[in-house]
Amino acid sequence: MKAVIEAKNLTKRYGDFTAVNGISFEVKPGEIFGFLGPNGAGKTTTVRMLSTLTSITEGEAYVNGHDVRRERKAVKKTIGVVQDVSNLYDELTVEENLRFLAKLYDAPLENVSRLIKDFNLPAKKKFGKLSSGYKRRTAIVAALIHEPPVLFLDEPTVALDVQSANLVRNMIQLLNKEGKTIFLTTHNMTEAETLPHRIAIINRGKIVAIGKRNELRKLVGKGVKVRFRVEPLSNRFLRFLEPYSPKPDGETLVVMVEDPDTFLEEFWGLKRELGFRVLHLSTELPSIEEVFLQLTDSNEDGERPCACGGCPL
Amino acid sequence: MKVVPIIVKELKEYMFKPGSISWGLVFPLVFSLAFIVRFGDIDHLAPGLVSISALFATTSFVASSLIFERRLKTFERLLLAPISYGEIILAKVLVGALFGLMVSAITLAIVRYFMVYPVWSWPLTLLGILLANLAFSALGVYISLAVENPINVMTWLNVIRLPMMFTSGAIASLTLFPKWFIAIGLITPMTYSVEALRYSLLGYYDVIAPLYSLPLMLFMTLLFMLLSVRSLRRMY
Ligand SMILES: Nc1ncnc2c1ncn2[C@@H]1O[C@H](COP(=O)(O)OP(=O)(O)OP(=O)(O)O)[C@@H](O)[C@H]1O
Ligand SMILES: [Mg+2]
Repeated sequence: MKAVIEAKNLTKRYGDFTAVNGISFEVKPGEIFGFLGPNGAGKTTTVRMLSTLTSITEGEAYVNGHDVRRERKAVKKTIGVVQDVSNLYDELTVEENLRFLAKLYDAPLENVSRLIKDFNLPAKKKFGKLSSGYKRRTAIVAALIHEPPVLFLDEPTVALDVQSANLVRNMIQLLNKEGKTIFLTTHNMTEAETLPHRIAIINRGKIVAIGKRNELRKLVGKGVKVRFRVEPLSNRFLRFLEPYSPKPDGETLVVMVEDPDTFLEEFWGLKRELGFRVLHLSTELPSIEEVFLQLTDSNEDGERPCACGGCPL
Repeated sequence: MKVVPIIVKELKEYMFKPGSISWGLVFPLVFSLAFIVRFGDIDHLAPGLVSISALFATTSFVASSLIFERRLKTFERLLLAPISYGEIILAKVLVGALFGLMVSAITLAIVRYFMVYPVWSWPLTLLGILLANLAFSALGVYISLAVENPINVMTWLNVIRLPMMFTSGAIASLTLFPKWFIAIGLITPMTYSVEALRYSLLGYYDVIAPLYSLPLMLFMTLLFMLLSVRSLRRMY
């Protein structure tokens, strides 16, 4: 299937500083594509380049088959953008804001009343008087006015309370079910675990991993995480654990095992033999958060944690 | 043409913002009234007072709108819409001129009431006021975009507007000043506005005939609009 968004070696430089450094990826039709990265990684800059808001220093980008550098108007008509702030006009009511945008986009004015009804927005309230949750929802609805097939959402749930964030996530899922392709930037891990079909992780302007959630999980270690707490810990049991390099986590120990069946059989065998008590035993897959933490660093402090995972120092 | 909806939006959103009201309406009216109270018959000051009203009203309005829009990123709504930079600039200039026309019309009505002689030519007066408002509005849009940090726009605007009041001959006749002083005034549209209105209201001019001052205001409007589009290209 032809890609809806295509970036080839996309680069943005501000003077000497490279904010986005030669990234390439494709977003397929109907996909929610998660774009994860810490603060300052280059997420907003990427959205701004793809949505024609800022010039591309180097590389190419295509949205809906249109060259972002040369066919800006065509690109603008087929995308809806929700920026990292809820930017509508404070003194205009929700309805006036939407009607204004409908006129700018030559969209039918019926869309305004339909969207207001579908998303339950307070039509007659001034935008400036809305709560941040309603502001964000209105900003998302505003991006739908011209029925674009592609949506860019830049951290749509940031600074929202749990309820509002959930409402926004439901909206995103609904829009995707209706067939919209969604480019979603976030550093919210709940969102990353649930919404995107595929994820790219960006760090310091470079994509460090890309794939489905399960493919990304494999990057932190193969197999399954087993967590347990036994008493007492005998030397014999520790010798059994040694090849798995167990790590303490609170009161429990955690090991990564490729073949959980074999591990658990041996585990229960030893329990019968040694007679220790099992206070906790669970298995889990590595979380996207772990993948994220391992592949990215805080771009603010400039210190990069050691890549080897567990230095003796 | 998407210019009309933008104009309507601008008026609803920015007409009553403090920036538009204080520097754009209160200042020029109070300034004019102060001169009227001081001098009584103010025929020779009428062109200056109307021009000052147009200058402050237009530039304050467009600056207030662009400062808000650049800071709150609502300006990017316009940039994301399928319209050209030219249309955006045109809409901003027209709405600034519209606000300026309202304020300068009020000033003219007040000033007219205290004038001793009748207006020399109403058609030329209306044309002059229209062109002046367009030129000042375009200047205001250009400055509001050229200043890198929008917080500083109002300050820069005053750095430019206040001296323009004097170099244009709005307060004292240009014939009283040395040539180099007049030359400075010639690079601003304010001088052409004062000269054009002096002719249309009073029937004489100091140094620039209306044959030049009127077209030059149109030329400056277009020039500042082109410069504004260029600023947008650089910024985004
Ligand atoms: N106009 C600009 N001029 C100079 N540097 C910029 C500009 N815009 C962004 N940057 C820098 O580019 C880098 C990437 O910024 P960007 O806003 O894309 O990050 P982000 O991933 O969206 O971060 P956040 O999670 O904080 O929103 C940052 O270091 C930022 O300071
Ligand atoms: Mg961002």
